[in-house]
Amino acid sequence: MTRRGVLAGLAAVLALAGGAAWKFRLFAKHYPSTPYDDLLDQITDREPAIVFGQAARNSLPGAAQLAAELRRDRRSLGERAAAEPGEAQIAEVAGWVVPQSVARYAALAAQA
Amino acid sequence: MSSFQDARTLPRDTVLSPDLAIVGGGPAGISLALALAESGQNILLLESGGRTFEADVQKLYEGSQTGVPYIALDGGRLRYLGGSTNHWGGWTRPLDKIDFENRKGMPYFGWPFRRDAIEPYFARAQSLIEAGPWIYDEADNVISGNGPLLRLGPGGIYTSWFQFSRTRDNNLPTHFGDRYQADLIKAARITPLLNANVTAIRLSPDAGRVTQLDVATLSGNRLTVKPRYTVLAAGAIENARLMLASNDVTTAGVGNGNDLVGRFFADHPIPRNVATLVLFDEGISPLYFNNVALPDGAVMRAVLSPRQEFMRAHGVAGSLTTVENEAKLDAFATAAVVTTAQALGVDASHAKAYSLGCGMEMAPDPDRRLTLRTERDALGMPRLNLHMTISDDDFTLFRQTLTELGRQLLAAKSGMLHISYNRRDEWLEAMDWGNHHLGTTRMHGDPKQGVVDANSKVHGIGNLYVAGSSVFPTYGSSNPTLNLVALTLRLADHLKKVMA
Ligand SMILES: Cc1cc2nc3c(=O)[nH]c(=O)nc-3n(C[C@H](O)[C@H](O)[C@H](O)COP(=O)(O)OP(=O)(O)OC[C@H]3O[C@@H](n4cnc5c(N)ncnc54)[C@H](O)[C@@H]3O)c2cc1C
Repeated sequence: MTRRGVLAGLAAVLALAGGAAWKFRLFAKHYPSTPYDDLLDQITDREPAIVFGQAARNSLPGAAQLAAELRRDRRSLGERAAAEPGEAQIAEVAGWVVPQSVARYAALAAQA
Repeated sequence: MSSFQDARTLPRDTVLSPDLAIVGGGPAGISLALALAESGQNILLLESGGRTFEADVQKLYEGSQTGVPYIALDGGRLRYLGGSTNHWGGWTRPLDKIDFENRKGMPYFGWPFRRDAIEPYFARAQSLIEAGPWIYDEADNVISGNGPLLRLGPGGIYTSWFQFSRTRDNNLPTHFGDRYQADLIKAARITPLLNANVTAIRLSPDAGRVTQLDVATLSGNRLTVKPRYTVLAAGAIENARLMLASNDVTTAGVGNGNDLVGRFFADHPIPRNVATLVLFDEGISPLYFNNVALPDGAVMRAVLSPRQEFMRAHGVAGSLTTVENEAKLDAFATAAVVTTAQALGVDASHAKAYSLGCGMEMAPDPDRRLTLRTERDALGMPRLNLHMTISDDDFTLFRQTLTELGRQLLAAKSGMLHISYNRRDEWLEAMDWGNHHLGTTRMHGDPKQGVVDANSKVHGIGNLYVAGSSVFPTYGSSNPTLNLVALTLRLADHLKKVMA
């Protein structure tokens, strides 16, 4: 095998490994498990959600009740966030106008 | 051919007897005089100042204030030929239909006629203001190649348009005095009289007619004008002052039998940085950011306005929200944007942020008012006090408009909005004002509710009219000058008929 072939093969393997790592979230941050992971796993990036959620949590119920309320709606966070502005389901968190479910999921992340 | 005359050089106690005396040579007075130039009537245009700024003339505008902090009374206007257009911004936009409507649950809103009544005058007003062809909200069809308009979901806010009075050689917009002095001189029947301060309106003993105007100069000269008709066009503060101070026959002042003169003062509050607009994946079109010149001479700028249906449905007042500067997001703001964009399934890694400003409409308030003080100016006229107010409702209603904008951005997945202020002290801290003086001689068909009738004639006085934005009973959010000039042209048509 030529030197060039070895390098190309190595690059291909690395690329595949990178893709797999991304796909299976090998490098994703792991959080201690909580009773709300079915909900929290829908948040793509939990760190900023926790920061934002600190401001949202004061005006919302505690984690258990909030989770129960969120589970009542069978739609995913993405589906709800996309639909709510059209349904006038809007919240204001520290001045930010957001879909209601974004405020609620973030508040849950901040409390979990 | 007439020429400018100087009241200081006329023989003392000269009596002038024009058909029409116009008090004030700002855009209202000048537009009125020019519109009547060919009417066959002799017109005397009495202007307090000269052709340039003079400090001692300007001092005549000094007054005091109470209530909410506001611009000094001698700071927000100029007292010489051309009036405040000597330093205006040239922002121009017609009032909307809804601005003329009586609004349910909104006391004092509405004009005694619909917008149709002044629409025929808009084209000429636009031309006097030199704001180019009439485009405004047709701009969506005219403008291309300047980037797309803000993507908003369906709802109450839309992109509306300002036009601008033309800048000359990159200089300021149309100064009515400079621009039209040659036309005033050319008109055979117009006599512009400079340095002529009207200090009193004298009424007949039955208070039914104006019999004379007292005129004084700062050099000590005194003249008398005995006009058939008089139009006050001295600006919304000075119109009220003249009427209140002329109290020898009717002690409350001219046209003030119902204690309305000087009340309902208004301006457009212009709070800074009212919100931060974040766009997820695209910068904003320069149309919102800068004034964009079109090849046909119009200068345009996009602005965000509540739709009339939204205003009606939610009892919201007018507002015009502008994109001001690029803004930076702090850590918390970034967290808000990332969390929201991810939930919406949108990439916000190239998000851009902008601060927003706005011009708001105030609700009419009879307690926001001008009153006479005992202190007098150099001509012996009582000075004014302005009691300024702004209600929490004004902020709350505008917040509703901003929330709707935020909702529509989310619905379109194009961006999101942060509203800066919640508390009254925060709003007041950020407050600037438009210098758009309005409302002090409000128009209403019922003399108990207005100082002038639908023709701008002072109720109960046969030959006294008022021009300018002091007659606006409600204000809209549009800048006033185009609209007050249109209204003045309508008054000119009325005067042509009654004076003939
Ligand atoms: C800083 C600033 C920026 C502005 N920007 C804009 C803008 O972008 N768009 C807009 O639409 N509007 C703007 N305006 C408002 C605009 O200038 C006014 O709407 C307009 O000038 C009002 O016209 P007027 O003729 O009624 O009154 P004025 O312009 O006030 O003119 C009144 C005239 O009467 C004279 N006068 C006063 N008292 C007497 C007296 N006793 N006897 C004889 N003469 C008297 C004065 O000297 C003056 O010439 C701005 C104003 C300011 C101050």
